[in-house]
Amino acid sequence: MASFQGKKINPKRFHVSQIKFYVFLLPLAVFMILPIIYIFSTAFKPAEELFKFPPSFFVVDPTWENFKSLFELMAGSSVPATRYLFNSILVTVLTMLISIFLSVSAGYVLSKKKFKGQKLIFEINTLALMFVPIAVTIPRFIIIVNLGLTDRFISNILPIVAMPVGLFLIKQFIDQVPDALLEAARMDGANELQILFKIIIPSVRPAIATVAIMSFQSAWGNVEASVYYLNNESLKTFAYYITTFSSASTSSITQGVTAASALIMFLPNLIIFIVMQSKVMDTMAHSGIK
Amino acid sequence: MKKDKKKENLITAEASAPAAPRDKTEGRFYRIVHSEAFSGYMFLLPWLIGFCVFVAYPIIQTFIFSFSDVQIRLGEIETSFIGFGNYAKALLQDAKFTDALGEYAMQIILYVPVITVISLILSMLLNSKLKGTGFFRTIFFFPVIITSGPVIKMFIDQGVASFPGIENLIDFEKLAETLPQFLVDALQFLTSEFIMILWFSGIQILVFMTGLQKMDKSMYEAAKIDGATKWEMFWKITLPALNPTIVLNVVFTVVMQSIFSLNPIISKIQTDMNATDGSGGYGYASAMAWIYFILMLVILGVAVLVFKKHEKRLKTDRRFKLLKRAKGAKA
Repeated sequence: MASFQGKKINPKRFHVSQIKFYVFLLPLAVFMILPIIYIFSTAFKPAEELFKFPPSFFVVDPTWENFKSLFELMAGSSVPATRYLFNSILVTVLTMLISIFLSVSAGYVLSKKKFKGQKLIFEINTLALMFVPIAVTIPRFIIIVNLGLTDRFISNILPIVAMPVGLFLIKQFIDQVPDALLEAARMDGANELQILFKIIIPSVRPAIATVAIMSFQSAWGNVEASVYYLNNESLKTFAYYITTFSSASTSSITQGVTAASALIMFLPNLIIFIVMQSKVMDTMAHSGIK
Repeated sequence: MKKDKKKENLITAEASAPAAPRDKTEGRFYRIVHSEAFSGYMFLLPWLIGFCVFVAYPIIQTFIFSFSDVQIRLGEIETSFIGFGNYAKALLQDAKFTDALGEYAMQIILYVPVITVISLILSMLLNSKLKGTGFFRTIFFFPVIITSGPVIKMFIDQGVASFPGIENLIDFEKLAETLPQFLVDALQFLTSEFIMILWFSGIQILVFMTGLQKMDKSMYEAAKIDGATKWEMFWKITLPALNPTIVLNVVFTVVMQSIFSLNPIISKIQTDMNATDGSGGYGYASAMAWIYFILMLVILGVAVLVFKKHEKRLKTDRRFKLLKRAKGAKA
């Protein structure tokens, strides 16, 4: 176990033999960061730079104009923007928590228990994962209507909590948790819930963080509920609210407003990523697996 | 497998023994509640309900719709059964759809191997002892928040997703003189899509990295003592051990590419779904979704079969013997 370093994935010193890695990694890393720079730079571009052809990558003459016009539009709406923001935060947090819990508990039993229909259920999940998401909009709408959930806040959350991709990823990670670990816990008298919370969840943290990021995005950017299931403006989400500006405002400022709102919509994604990524990268170092 | 089950039973028996004194209601009810299947279903149930109501049922509904002419008027939905009409229209009359299918198949065939190889290489680089690996890992995982969000549409519209000028780096016309045309086309496609490929590799890199970290270090040590070079170790230890991870990544890549919201077929389905002029309609969109789904399954099936076969061959292969010997040396 000499190689065991715990959380420290970085060696302390730089060595010449590492140069060959940097030669590969650095240029690729630059590509990865490009979009983030672009989204920031576009949001601060004045109108004439936005319409310039060919479009320039960096902003030359940064301005707050786009944000100003966006906030002016917001001030003019009948329901205050904070209401939409509050809805969105509530929807996002609840969706993340529920969908992670559902995926982990289902992933746990599908991976570690033996019962009838287990394989079949996972296979059906994988198939459902592949079905064109957009094609189910109308049947979903019918279900929402039949359940009497139109114009209920919960219709923002319910349709997206059972996330096939979440179960898919988490189950694959739980498969790698050694059975011996669970057996040891059972010997010590742990019940199923304890095993789930004390062993499974800590050992698949990278997968959970990934699923958290994905469910965050699907909830935060979700406009389906606001467009189809809700008529009451005060129940709709911020993502929907933002899109109304980029489609409704007059053309001269549309581009700028769209760019500014794209940045505002993107920022929470970035924040959640920064918060979660350390968990993702924090691999299996102290989960008892090696 | 059988042996496993026996072991499992033994263990559950042992595990439930200390719990028995707490609960005195022995008998059938007790046995059912404490059986593995029962707790399995209990844990599964909440997810299963959500899945059935909001995922599985809508999919079945689209299957029924795909055989019907669906009209939506003022929130009322009228359906009339028209058999395979929608399917015939999609496959025989709608050239746009069949073209998009071809384009999709081509894209998948090129994307999947390239993404798999690139993410494998990157994950190995990121797994090596290197100053700043943590930083690089974060950066390479970063595109996850771009590709699954609406943000990527903006990038593609603005042309940031392709690297300006990269096409000029390679003289494709000159290559066409020596190489067959389809190879040149493929190469051209890959260079122009290079950034997209990198962006789509985030989760795959993560999956490979966990796979690599789970690897038995002593195997490498044994191989080293036997005088194996790093190159040999990669082919004879790393790659065979990673095979299940590779299959997982291939499946994941195919799926993610296929449901990517800007994929040509999905946008076609979306426009036709909302068309009110009678050209499309929801029934037609459903039929297209199902054709697409089946094609996807075929591609996935082929990909998995190829790897499973590879795995079988590995087992009889000499390389595998080395692996076993290394394991034996450890023991």
